[in-house]
Amino acid sequence: MKRKILIHCGTGGVGKTTVSAARGLLSALRGDRAVVVTLDPAKRLATSLGLEGLGDHPTDLTPHLKVALQKLRSQGFDVPETVPGSLHALMPDTRRTFEQLVVDLGFSAEGAEKLIKNPIFEIFAREFSGTNEYMAVQRLHRLNRDPQFDRIILDTPPSRNTLDFLNAPKLLTRFYEEKALQWLLAPSSRLAAFGMHKALDALEKLTGGGFMTHLVGFVASLFEVQENFSKNLREVTALLEGPSTGFIMVASPAPEHVLEVSHFAEGITRRGYHFDGLILNRSLAHLGPLTGIPAVPAWDEARRILEGLQAREKRGLEALVHGAGIPDPILLPELARDVHSVEDLVHVAMALDRSSLGH
Amino acid sequence: MTGAANCKAIPQDFMTSNDLKSLLNRRLLFVIGKGGVGKTAITESISRSLPGRVLWVSIEDPTRPPQEMKRLGANLWSLNASAGPSFAEYAELKIGARLLLHFFLQNRLVQYLATAAPGIRELVLLGKIWFERKNYDHVVIDMPSTGHGVAMFRSTRNFGNLFGSGPVHSDTEAMNSVFRDPEQTGILIVSLPEEMPLQESLELKDLLSDLFPKNEAALICNRRLPELREPPASSQSRNAKTAGAASAESALSPFALDSADYLWRKSRLERENLARLWDSRGLRYASLPFVAPEVGREHTHLVETLAARLQALREETAS
Repeated sequence: MKRKILIHCGTGGVGKTTVSAARGLLSALRGDRAVVVTLDPAKRLATSLGLEGLGDHPTDLTPHLKVALQKLRSQGFDVPETVPGSLHALMPDTRRTFEQLVVDLGFSAEGAEKLIKNPIFEIFAREFSGTNEYMAVQRLHRLNRDPQFDRIILDTPPSRNTLDFLNAPKLLTRFYEEKALQWLLAPSSRLAAFGMHKALDALEKLTGGGFMTHLVGFVASLFEVQENFSKNLREVTALLEGPSTGFIMVASPAPEHVLEVSHFAEGITRRGYHFDGLILNRSLAHLGPLTGIPAVPAWDEARRILEGLQAREKRGLEALVHGAGIPDPILLPELARDVHSVEDLVHVAMALDRSSLGH
Repeated sequence: MTGAANCKAIPQDFMTSNDLKSLLNRRLLFVIGKGGVGKTAITESISRSLPGRVLWVSIEDPTRPPQEMKRLGANLWSLNASAGPSFAEYAELKIGARLLLHFFLQNRLVQYLATAAPGIRELVLLGKIWFERKNYDHVVIDMPSTGHGVAMFRSTRNFGNLFGSGPVHSDTEAMNSVFRDPEQTGILIVSLPEEMPLQESLELKDLLSDLFPKNEAALICNRRLPELREPPASSQSRNAKTAGAASAESALSPFALDSADYLWRKSRLERENLARLWDSRGLRYASLPFVAPEVGREHTHLVETLAARLQALREETAS
């Protein structure tokens, strides 16, 4: 079936943002009312798309896209004449999404204030490796209810582990399941019964006085909204697991990515999500033999580098197809310049189209 | 071809050998940057080329056992620093008494905090490195990619503020004073000559300068293509057809025509990116060559070449 939501995962530096944006553009060219949720585009790309400073609100890029098509046709490129669908883009604001979530969870104004001012919360919100991921899912959840769009394309935040994105809701669920944290809120007599007393004494000695008070306050705040939080977690999990959401891995065709890719495909499927394939970006396979170069040492060295990279790509592809069992990766050619305009994105979208990527 | 031959093709850079010598002389050297820029190969090259007892640290490498310590050479060790064991070691150091320590470490809340609480993991990892520095002449740290790496440094400040008193407070203060001291600690940002990495390195440099204002981070641009001055046949003929260099480039497809066109445009793009993002700010940095991958001995070849280049950079006379 056709997915409504496409989530692009992958480690940084593989052009995930460009691929996601081009994917959205291609959707619009095929008649979808598409919105691209991008997290951290390069500054010049954001500027050229008119996204800079606009942030959380969906911006209509369809007029830009029409102008770009016209320009490209005048330069002699074979691109569509019209845009049957529409294209929007937005950059979610983590802080704003979070504030919205706090309201949705049913905190009283006073309770929200108390939570946000707790120094432990402040560290938690900033350093918890799942915060950005979790907030992106929240934004997705809200967009999914917006009748303006029938296709949502999400570019996930760069992370060390490509599965972090899916682990974020689970990590938060663990928080509520952690009995030890519930004990913190129990009367002190019960604490002693569990042998907590001595351990907490030691902890307090290490950390100084204030820490335990803040910790108890933080845990109490979160347990206050446990029911709503669990409901929210169930909803976003259902959204991600549902048949309308597909996951795509974006990687580069190098042997060192093979393990990561197979780990991702396997992890996605095992958790009951839908794995919709692999895009290998920055491929050099299309370039053909190197001819007509000046006979100087710098060019010789450049040749060695290119040939080494192409040989490495070949080994990577073989390992992916035969070793990791991912039969039809989409190869997207490496660009010779950074993407700075809607025209450039159209070029990338056309390359995706030529690779006959998922409809 | 050897690394020395590669070096000739590398453009002159702005970091003097004195800068590099000073950086590599410090007891602690943190190497940080986004994923995939080559931090591991660079930290290994540096570790192998430093004199004295050297500890090369990886942070929670999932392919190695937690806290594994391996001897790699007569004077070279490698540690896979991990939060869980580091927390236990710290607790033992501070609590001492066996019975209480047992209670403490077996406690589920404590276990939860040690392994899941954001910030605490980062703090104990840095604490482990800080503690180990006393046993070596040099400790070279392969930091996690940008966001996580900065979170590690920030944890010392977060917790220094959060714990108003007590041993953790004084230890984080002591750690901070070592990290912000340019006599003792070096911070090296590794980047690639592409727009996003160069831009992100600038942002990283600013973040770090907020945390350690008096200990400026140094920059390395890794994987530089040789500087190509003579255009290939394909680009020459095509450029002749279009008027005006700037408008010509944007009227081209962002995809290269062929291999020669790709290398030619990439090499120019690299120089433009560096000129616009780094040179224009008067930044000093060292460049490392793009080492052509070699089947079967990629890793050793890469490390040897980078080590040779680093050595050459250190020996160049200051300009």
